[in-house]
Amino acid sequence: MTSMSPIAIDEPKAPEQPRISRRGTWGVSWHGVRTVAQLELRQRVRSTRWIVALVVWFVVVGGLTLLLSGFLSDAMLGTGNSGPLMFGAVVFLVLGLGLLVTPTLTSTAVNGDRNAGTLATLQVTLLSPAEIALGKLAAAWLAACAFLVLSIPFLVVALFMGDTPPFAVVRVVVIVALLLVSVCGIGLGFSALVSRTAGSTVLTFITVAALVLLTPMLFGLTFSSVEQEENVQVWGPVDGSTFGEDMECGFTTQVQTVAHTERTWWLLGINPFVVVADGAGTGPIVHDDYGSSADPLGSIRDGVRSLRTPNRVDNQCYYASDSLPANDQRGDDSAIWPWGLAANLALGAAGFVIAVRRLAIPSRTLARGTRVA
Amino acid sequence: MSTDVADSAVTPPAAGPPPGIVVRGVSRSFGAVRALDAIDLEARAGRITALVGPNGSGKTTLLLVLAGLLVPDTGTVRVAGHDPVADGPAARARTGWMPDAFGTWDTLTARQVLLTFAAAYRIPTATARVRVDELLATVHLHEYADRPASVLSRGQKQRLGLARALVHSPDVLLLDEPASGLDPRSRVDLRILLRKLADEGRTVLVSSHVLSELEEMADDAVFISRGRSVVPETITTRSTWHVRALSLGALTGWLTAVGAAWRPGEGTPDGPGSVLLEVSGDEGAAQLVRDAVAAGVPLTSLAPVAGALEQAYLTLEEERR
Ligand SMILES: Nc1ncnc2c1ncn2[C@@H]1O[C@H](COP(=O)(O)OP(=O)(O)OP(=O)(O)O)[C@@H](O)[C@H]1O
Ligand SMILES: [Mg+2]
Repeated sequence: MTSMSPIAIDEPKAPEQPRISRRGTWGVSWHGVRTVAQLELRQRVRSTRWIVALVVWFVVVGGLTLLLSGFLSDAMLGTGNSGPLMFGAVVFLVLGLGLLVTPTLTSTAVNGDRNAGTLATLQVTLLSPAEIALGKLAAAWLAACAFLVLSIPFLVVALFMGDTPPFAVVRVVVIVALLLVSVCGIGLGFSALVSRTAGSTVLTFITVAALVLLTPMLFGLTFSSVEQEENVQVWGPVDGSTFGEDMECGFTTQVQTVAHTERTWWLLGINPFVVVADGAGTGPIVHDDYGSSADPLGSIRDGVRSLRTPNRVDNQCYYASDSLPANDQRGDDSAIWPWGLAANLALGAAGFVIAVRRLAIPSRTLARGTRVA
Repeated sequence: MSTDVADSAVTPPAAGPPPGIVVRGVSRSFGAVRALDAIDLEARAGRITALVGPNGSGKTTLLLVLAGLLVPDTGTVRVAGHDPVADGPAARARTGWMPDAFGTWDTLTARQVLLTFAAAYRIPTATARVRVDELLATVHLHEYADRPASVLSRGQKQRLGLARALVHSPDVLLLDEPASGLDPRSRVDLRILLRKLADEGRTVLVSSHVLSELEEMADDAVFISRGRSVVPETITTRSTWHVRALSLGALTGWLTAVGAAWRPGEGTPDGPGSVLLEVSGDEGAAQLVRDAVAAGVPLTSLAPVAGALEQAYLTLEEERR
């Protein structure tokens, strides 16, 4: 019964460690990505649960928007336009809820399939690891964007309340979408790295929470450490001049406490909320007799941008503040959001790369306590 | 073959027996556990090869290496002439793998599952539709084609898994305990299907614990124990047969006369009965029948006590772990 005669085959010289060809790892075809994305969407998304989630989202965002608009129209009665405030509130609401929902879309994408025993059968097909990872990422991103698209009506409502440039809606939607794809990438990376789905979900949430909450906390905590006493140029009343309309100002040097936030501003710069606020492109903050216009996005933008140049000349010439020579008045006003967005996207890309490498077969090492099949 | 893998650079194998599966000195450890220990194996095209061994002997691990999912620590592997490690895609395009435990996607129907895999193997949609219908009929799931795969019974899922492994008409089939959970009818169907696939020139490697069943379908057998391939001593040499006759007295009398070492079976000397007899292979059995009939012994049946595989298996010294 057992008949084992050697089969004539040119036998290669056996190297100690077989060389793994990663030639096919990064190959990507539209067909392959679409196959995986379709599968993911069908599998995770096309269910009643998903419809319910969308409806709940719409109701929650819509409800909160309504409440806000009611509240604002009462509170702001007669004090100018509540449009920018409303717009900022809806943007932050959408971003916040988006950051809450999105991690769950990919944080079990790889280890969940592995536990369910469906990953290995997909890996042995001709799909490349990059196609599998990209397909999963695309499906999750599409799902996240569905939530975003459902929120657009409320952004438009805020737009109609005035004082927000229409193009801000487009900018906000694009930037939020890119932030969400970063979160998808981070989740994908953790799901490939950690064998338990609960673990990868928690890690993804922690990472998002770190970006959102930890960065301002760290900024605050490090604030005192970047403060120091130093000589500062002050534009103030020259000796002998009187306070009042005809105040005469000149440069003097004083010892003041200066916070060198140019060392730590980037902590805020990578915060998703700051990225969106900075990139939204709402109008300039107008300072007039009633105070500053209530535009949270613009205020955050101006605030964080000014942190980069803390040792601007201290202008103490209160009654004639315009007298300061112009080139001393202006700080660095270039946009922050491209850098912040790039940092977020880099995190997402890192997660994606990890996922592709972990999906590559044949594998040499397995996570402790897992089997391939 | 309906797969269209860009592989024109690979020269067709030279004349001679098609390669099938060749494993040379493959080892694989998981931490301290040596799952495969310099194993050698050959499975020839056009034949069904049984992979037999106790629990934890490394059968699944070997199939994972062959399927291109695990890197062996040492040794070389050829599947349909390709190295699954160095040339994964080419090998995987020709390999159909059915794991012993696998899941299905909850919300997809059986047909969608198969169509997805066809797409994953880059089979054009039109071809895939025909192929999937064909496969659903082959594994008798056409009734369930449009129901969610998650509600299929265990045996039905197993059959869907088999169809899944066949979707790209692979040259080499790796089946890990394919018969578990199948009803008797489906087992027969499986046997016929595998025979048909082998007759088409494909290489079929089946692992199973149901030896009587393997016996009926396998052409070759490879025994594996503690990660090594072992050659059982007694295979195709002497085995125990059950010899039954209308008259036990006549049978035992004749056997004693010719000097055969028989052991009592059942029955009384006056009536019908049987004895146990060591016979060397099928030729020995044929010889026995010829001689007994010539001597006028009223033989009614002659059958091996246990399958040859089972006997060989039991002679293995190695224990299960
Ligand atoms: N991922 C893994 N990590 C650690 N040990 C493993 C892993 N996979 C397999 N093993 C060990 O390797 C050995 C061989 O396992 P394998 O699954 O190949 O056995 P098998 O022959 O398929 O057994 P069975 O007949 O029960 O299916 C076992 O001792 C098992 O515990
Ligand atoms: Mg096994």
